[in-house]
Amino acid sequence: MSTFKKIVGVFRKRERLTIAWQLSPAMLVMLLFILIPLGFIAIYSFGDMVGLRFIPEWGFHNYVRLFTELDGRYLQLLLKSLGMSALVTVGAIVIAYPVAYFISFRVEKYKYTWLILLMGPYLVSWVVLIMGWRLIIGYSGFLNYILMQVGLLSEPARGTWGNWGTVVFILVIGWAPWLVFPLFVSLEKIDKNVLEAAADLGANPIRRFLRITLPLSSPGLLVATFFILLPMFGEFVTPILAGGTGGIMYGVLIESAFLGWGSWAFGSAASVILMIISLAAATALLRFVSLERLMESL
Amino acid sequence: MLGNFRENSLKVYFYVFIAVTYLPLLVLILLSFNRARTPGFPLVGFTLEWWQRFFTSASAMNTVQNSFLIGSATAMISTALGLLAAFALVRHFFRGKNLANALVLLPLCLPPVVVAVGALVFLRTVLDLELSRLTIILGHTLLALPFTTLVLIARLIGFDRTLEEAAYDLGANEFTTFRKITLPIIMPGIFVALMMGFIISFEDVVVAYFLSGFDTTVPVLVFGLQRRATGLPMVTVISAFMVFIMVVFLIVSLLWARRAAK
Repeated sequence: MSTFKKIVGVFRKRERLTIAWQLSPAMLVMLLFILIPLGFIAIYSFGDMVGLRFIPEWGFHNYVRLFTELDGRYLQLLLKSLGMSALVTVGAIVIAYPVAYFISFRVEKYKYTWLILLMGPYLVSWVVLIMGWRLIIGYSGFLNYILMQVGLLSEPARGTWGNWGTVVFILVIGWAPWLVFPLFVSLEKIDKNVLEAAADLGANPIRRFLRITLPLSSPGLLVATFFILLPMFGEFVTPILAGGTGGIMYGVLIESAFLGWGSWAFGSAASVILMIISLAAATALLRFVSLERLMESL
Repeated sequence: MLGNFRENSLKVYFYVFIAVTYLPLLVLILLSFNRARTPGFPLVGFTLEWWQRFFTSASAMNTVQNSFLIGSATAMISTALGLLAAFALVRHFFRGKNLANALVLLPLCLPPVVVAVGALVFLRTVLDLELSRLTIILGHTLLALPFTTLVLIARLIGFDRTLEEAAYDLGANEFTTFRKITLPIIMPGIFVALMMGFIISFEDVVVAYFLSGFDTTVPVLVFGLQRRATGLPMVTVISAFMVFIMVVFLIVSLLWARRAAK
């Protein structure tokens, strides 16, 4: 018996060594360059700056500034960004859903070819996509040109670029192709016999969709939300390039605090707030989304 | 009749969706050949001038080179680290496994700007490192690692381990078994992970923008030019170039999916 235990012990030890060397590189990278840095931002957020130099004068002043300065504009900006994030999330899922539905329920052959093809516009950089949209809905863009040719406009319209709506529009259209995938995966899992049974029992198509298809695709809806919502909280590229003054988002505040006016302490405080909100949202979503669900959707 | 209408509108919606999402890419390509000084409509004539300027601009070519270099490095590092971690996470049970899973998922749970800011503060003030291509590679590895790990975990879960045992029984050692049995089976997963790592790095603006020093990537260059609204013809042509690269990637993926389906 004791020899048996010894042998098991040797194997166990060897296994532990294997686990250690396989796991440690990835874990070290995450620990060293994400977890510890997050701790440092937290520390920084309680410090102060003299010009561009950080000084260890600890206190809550950055947070006080964040919540009270400019009559609470920063706070309003945060709330507005969260609202825009929610709007973009819902918008992108709503326009992606019918596409995923079509591929899953109506396309017979080459489903994956279509899916890969759909992904194309998401695979280019955001800045490229924004430039493309600038050339369509911008001042000298395609839309204005067409509308003037047809005679609907006498001079180019300015309202389509550089505002709040532009940002939401570009983000919705830009994210939708990527969200088709998780939605498709969960729709594909639905047993089509259930729908047939419901039809036999007299449920009309709308009822079948609302009572069966939609609830059964909820894992896909959650994964899609997880993919889009968290990056959206910190979005600054689209607001800067396409948003003008009206389309500004909270991420822009972080960007300019760090790279514009160089106040790392204040920027850290702004980031800590964003980090807390994101981690809270992620934890809430991950309660319903398992690792397996995330994996299937990649 | 009504059912027919519904069917058709779904189909029409599908094609309109594809057309609308591809429209900006087509317009970019079209306008990269337009002779006008400021990119836009109407089209005034065909020219290769912008493309010529792009390919002869030393700084533009330098960023293209950087992008490819950083993308390849990110792809390889994040796939290697992801593969090792996936082996540990799939094949072994150990205390703290949930913690390890959570740590791998962490970058997905944060907006990229927070990851970038954290890395910037840490690298500059704690490690006192100069920003360079290396720091961008590091930042991109952080972004890509959750994706590569998840893809490889998925591949390993479906792995039939009796194949490896059979190889051991036939006298193969660990290395031979890995090379001859394990590696060929997980190869499609590795390929997908490499592609993902490259694309995530190649299209990222946020992290590269915060972590680049003198040497930067194509998206950061495009961001800067667009923000100052200078050299928009150059932006158009670089963007069109990026679209062509994306098309190459799509074709490679499609061919691969075809092959994998067989």
